[in-house]
Amino acid sequence: MKNRILIVDDSFYMRTMLKNMLTDAGYEVVGEAANGQQALEMASQTNPDLITLDVILPDNTGLDVLKGIRQEQPDVKVVMCSAVGQEVIVNEALESGATAYIVKPFSEEKVLEIVGGALQASGSTEA
Amino acid sequence: MKSREQEYREIFMAEALEYYDAMSRHISELEKTPTDEPALNELFRLMHNLKSNARAMGYTQIGELAHHMETIFGLIRSKEKSFTGSVVPVLFGGIDTIGNMIRAIGDGQETDSVADVDELLANLDRLVRGEEPVLIDAGAAAEDDANRKLELSDLVYIQIKKLDHLLNLVGELIIDRDRILTLSQEIGNSALQATAAHLFRISDELQYSVMDARLVNVGSLFNKFPRVVRDVATAERKEVELTLVGEDIQIDRNILQIITDSLLHLVRNAIGHGLEQPQERVNLGKPAIGQLTMSAQTERDDVLIHVIDDGRGIDIANVRRKAVERGLISKEAATTLDDDAVRAFLFEPGFSMAQEVTEISGRGVGLDVVKLAIDSLGGQLRVDSTLGKGTTFTLVLPTSIAVKGALLFELDERSYAIPLMHTDSVVSLWPEQLHIVGGTLLADIQEESVPVVSLRRLLHNGDGPLKPVHRAEVTGRQDIIIVNYNNRKLGLIVDRFLRQQAIVIKSMSKPLDTIDLFGGVTLLGSGQVCLVLDVPALTRLFLAKRP
Repeated sequence: MKNRILIVDDSFYMRTMLKNMLTDAGYEVVGEAANGQQALEMASQTNPDLITLDVILPDNTGLDVLKGIRQEQPDVKVVMCSAVGQEVIVNEALESGATAYIVKPFSEEKVLEIVGGALQASGSTEA
Repeated sequence: MKSREQEYREIFMAEALEYYDAMSRHISELEKTPTDEPALNELFRLMHNLKSNARAMGYTQIGELAHHMETIFGLIRSKEKSFTGSVVPVLFGGIDTIGNMIRAIGDGQETDSVADVDELLANLDRLVRGEEPVLIDAGAAAEDDANRKLELSDLVYIQIKKLDHLLNLVGELIIDRDRILTLSQEIGNSALQATAAHLFRISDELQYSVMDARLVNVGSLFNKFPRVVRDVATAERKEVELTLVGEDIQIDRNILQIITDSLLHLVRNAIGHGLEQPQERVNLGKPAIGQLTMSAQTERDDVLIHVIDDGRGIDIANVRRKAVERGLISKEAATTLDDDAVRAFLFEPGFSMAQEVTEISGRGVGLDVVKLAIDSLGGQLRVDSTLGKGTTFTLVLPTSIAVKGALLFELDERSYAIPLMHTDSVVSLWPEQLHIVGGTLLADIQEESVPVVSLRRLLHNGDGPLKPVHRAEVTGRQDIIIVNYNNRKLGLIVDRFLRQQAIVIKSMSKPLDTIDLFGGVTLLGSGQVCLVLDVPALTRLFLAKRP
């Protein structure tokens, strides 16, 4: 069965690019959220296998969303999308239960490698 | 892939301009209330997104500038800096420069065509290091700002129905113009003639401008096909490589709309029934991956669209047999038909049913529907195929709907028109150059035997078959228009050739449109109503009624 992915990013451009990359690679993109509230709602509605989560979002920060999702859905894999210079946030995210992270701007190979790897990571994510 | 890059570029541009507008708004709010936290957060977030997107697009200069700006907004947010003093003009200048760079990209220019970027970056660096920026002639800059003009986009989006209306009006105008031109010649007043000639030129230009405004790139339809091909190929377990050619060829938007389903149909057929499974292809000594090409090109006033596959091809012998079985043609006649004429049967309504699909490589499923769509545009559908090598479908389409080239002729002192799309040639022949075979006149046109019929007889025949022609009836010079439909040629005997002319075809008012031999009417400059012959319908009538 296709792995189901939810994309969370406030930029339509980024969402489109990620969606194309993931769909082309055979994943099913079950939803796109543009802010933290949408992200939390869609995560519980669609119950995806993996979420790509932008670090900076209009309402919440990505970290708050991550913590919210972790409470509800401990098994979902979360890949943080960040830019160079946000190492501090990335570290905190990994400590809060993110499975992996991608640094923007990203290449298609890198995205697929990290998403594929995260999906194979065994069992529930350890903090 | 070009299509996707173009899509990304368009999305980037739209979003970047949106960001720029929002940032301009927020920085003004920040100037009023330097502690406005939501405005600051938004500036930081938008700058951050712009940076990431610009870097992903390879617009490094925008990425670099946005990165610097983001850093400063970050410092202000963490209270390490305040939005006061020299920080303010530098950040305002930064957002302006970003706007200029985005617009430069939109205009197809390099971002380094935008002035003062290096200076700006140096100042931003100074701010980060806690140094004072070097402001050049702040007075002049402020004056520049004060004199700034508001810019509106150069592009206007318009509903196609408004353009339809405009085109209809132009059509009416052209008819009146031709009438005025004729009247002015009759009246013979030179001032009136000069004005009429001027009106002629201007309305001509107007017509082409309106037609031009409706043109879109064929690519806007073609670029939807990589996805279609991928999906159909996956479903059919085929491997297909799609090549698009001529995406920048332009065509009327409504024509593109009308052929959309036809192209979908042809592409699905090509993948589903034309191309073989990978293993089968390898066994046949072909590359495993099937080739599908969609190409567009212009030829005179027409646009040619090809859908080409390198699959099984069409088995002519099978089509020939089917045509006989269905009673479309006698067994004897079938053996004499050339391959082109046999393939034309594929476009006959209901020629092939589902259970026969595989036998003729699946061609023919709904091809009559494709044919009808193309006919409705006054276009032509052709098929060419080599067994084992592949099939090519060709759509011959007019570039524009409204105005068509037509051949005008006279019959019983009335004017008629035939769209040039369907005319092959005009010939004048003497009785001894015509043969009679089985009651039908035949003319040798370029080493081909073409049936010839009196148009008068065909139009006024009524029910029942045409009467056989007798030698004694054919006297004097015969003016014949050779028309071509679906690879079938037919000669129509008329009274007199008139001229070639661009005509505006209007659909018929109710009582007449039941007569399907006419595709519409047009008004001539003389004010005379001229019927436009529907060549497909005439050809079908002749085939049904021939003696």
